[in-house]
Amino acid sequence: MATQYVLIGNSAASLAAIDGIRKHDKQGAITLINREQGSAYSRVALPYYVAGEMTLDELLIRQQPDYGKIGVTLVENENAVAIHPATKQVELESGKKVSYDKLLIGTGSETIVPPIQGLDQVPHHYLWTLADAIGMKQATNTAKTAVVIGGGFIGMLAAEALRKLKIKLTIVEMAPILLPQLLDEGAGQLFLQAVRDEGVTVRTGALVAALAKKNDAIEVTLKNGDTFSVDMAVVATGVRPNVRCLQNGAVSMNKGILVNEFLQTNHPDIYAAGDVAETKDFLSDGRSIYAIWPTAIDQGRAAGANMAGKQQPYPGSLGMNVVELFNVTLAQLGRFREGAGDDVKMLSSGKDGLYRKVVVDQHGTLVGAVYLGDENGVAEMGVIHSAIRRREKWQGFQDGRPPKFSYGAVMQAAPRY
Amino acid sequence: MKQIVVHQEKCTACRECELACSFSHEGSFLPALSRIRIADFYEAQFYQPMVCVHCADAPCAAVCPTVAIQRQADGQISIIEDRCIGCKMCLLACPFGVMSFSPEKGVAQNCDLCNGDPQCVQFCTPGALEFADIIEASALAKQKAAAALGLPHA
Repeated sequence: MATQYVLIGNSAASLAAIDGIRKHDKQGAITLINREQGSAYSRVALPYYVAGEMTLDELLIRQQPDYGKIGVTLVENENAVAIHPATKQVELESGKKVSYDKLLIGTGSETIVPPIQGLDQVPHHYLWTLADAIGMKQATNTAKTAVVIGGGFIGMLAAEALRKLKIKLTIVEMAPILLPQLLDEGAGQLFLQAVRDEGVTVRTGALVAALAKKNDAIEVTLKNGDTFSVDMAVVATGVRPNVRCLQNGAVSMNKGILVNEFLQTNHPDIYAAGDVAETKDFLSDGRSIYAIWPTAIDQGRAAGANMAGKQQPYPGSLGMNVVELFNVTLAQLGRFREGAGDDVKMLSSGKDGLYRKVVVDQHGTLVGAVYLGDENGVAEMGVIHSAIRRREKWQGFQDGRPPKFSYGAVMQAAPRY
Repeated sequence: MKQIVVHQEKCTACRECELACSFSHEGSFLPALSRIRIADFYEAQFYQPMVCVHCADAPCAAVCPTVAIQRQADGQISIIEDRCIGCKMCLLACPFGVMSFSPEKGVAQNCDLCNGDPQCVQFCTPGALEFADIIEASALAKQKAAAALGLPHA
C-alpha cells in the first residue's frame, strides 16, 4: 500500500521534503497541513513587498496547481493542535484527525513577544508572516516616522524596507552593534557607522521599556528614561521554534524538536526539519537551530529522502547569511566570532569599506568568515563556504582563495548535468 | 549538454574571455561584470578559468528563496531576473564562486551560454575554452591522459 506522508507547514522545510520524498517515492500520498491559506510564499521576500518592490503574486514560490501535479493534497487554514504517536494521527483545530505513516513537523518559527510595558495597548508590527507584511505595508502609507525594536536580521530588513519608503527611523538594539548574529565587533562598528551615515538614529545597548499611545502617535520609553514619539512601531526581537502542536509532550524537545542525523525524533516515524528542529551542528559536537532558509532546505530534503526509506544522513547545520542593507553587503559563515584557541586571518581590515575576516581553529581548519563590502565579494565567501564544508585547512590559501590544485580539482570534480 | 569546457593548461590569463563576456552581455568592457573569471595564481603560473558548470544538483537553485534559479529543458541553469530579489544567497551557496551579481540590475547572473554561441569561447585565443558536450569532453580528456601515461585506453 502507498505510504501516507503528512507534512505540517508550508514553507522551505516542507517544500524541500516534498522534493526529497518524490525523488524516491512517486506513489505515496502526501498531505500538507497549512495554518495559513494559499500557496507557499517566500518569507525572505516579504521585506521587498513592504518596500513596494514586489507584488503579492510575485511572493508566491508555488502556484496552487503545482501541489496537485505532484500529488500533494492541501489542508488549508488548519492548525495542527496535537500529535498522537500511539495512533499515528495529527489532530487539527477543527477536530479532524489525519492519519500518517510518516510525519514531518516543519512548523517553522514564531515571533517572540518581548516584555515591553503597554505593547498590547498600541498598534505594532512584526515582519514574519504574509499577514504581518500586509499590515506593515498598510501602516507605511501614513507613517512618517518609525521605531524598529531589535536590530537583528529581521529588524534590519524591516528598517531597510522602511528606509526605502523614506520613513524616518530609530533603531533600538540591546547589543553594542547591529546584527550581532551576523557581524563581529569590527564589521559591526563599520556597519553601525554606515547606518548612521544614512541619517538613521541607532540606539545601541538600549532596551525599550514601554510603549504608550499619545494622540495619534506612539511614545517610546527606553529603559534609561529617554522618550521619543513615532508614527509606527516594528517589533523584531527574534523568533523561536513553533511547537504549538506538541504541547502534549508527544516528542522530545529542548529549545526545538530534538532529531537525530536522519532528522528523526524519538518516534522513528516522526521527523522534524527547518526552524523547528534542533539538529546536529556542523562545527561543534552540540546541536543548533539557525532558523535560516538554507538549513530548512537542506534538512527538508534529507528528511524527505529518509521518510521515503533512504538512509541519507544530514551533515549538520552551518550558520550562513548574506544581506544587502543601507548600500553595504554583509555576509557571514560558521563560527565568525573567534573562540578560545581559534586564529584569525584578516584579509581586509575595513579600510575603504572592505572587511574580510577568516577564522581557523586550533588545527588550522577553516571554521568561519565575515564579510563587509560590495556585492561581488560574496562569491569569494561561497568558495570559503564550500571549503568549510570540506573541512579544508587554511594553509595554502592565498588571499582568501583556495590553493590552485584544490581549485582545479574542485572544478574537475563538479557533478555534471 | 553542451557547455563551456575548460582546458586549464592552455589558459594564459589574457582575460579576453572576461572582456568578451562583459561586452556582449553588458555593453561595456568591465571584467568585474564578466560571468567568467580567471582565478590567477601568478606565482605558480597557474590560471583557472572559472565559469558556471550548470551543476547536476545545483546548490544555487536549491537555496534560492524565490525559485528564481531554474533548470531549463536543455539542462542549463538559468536565472529568471524578474523573480530575483538580489538576496545573494546563491553567491554564498556556489562552491566555485562563479555566480555574478549586477549592481545595476540588482540581480544575480550566471553563464547563459550566449544562446548557444558563447563569446568567451570565440575570443579565447589560446584555445583554453571550448563549447562542447561536457560528458564527451571529459571522456576524451581521460583517454588523452591515459594515452600520455602509456596506459590502455578505449
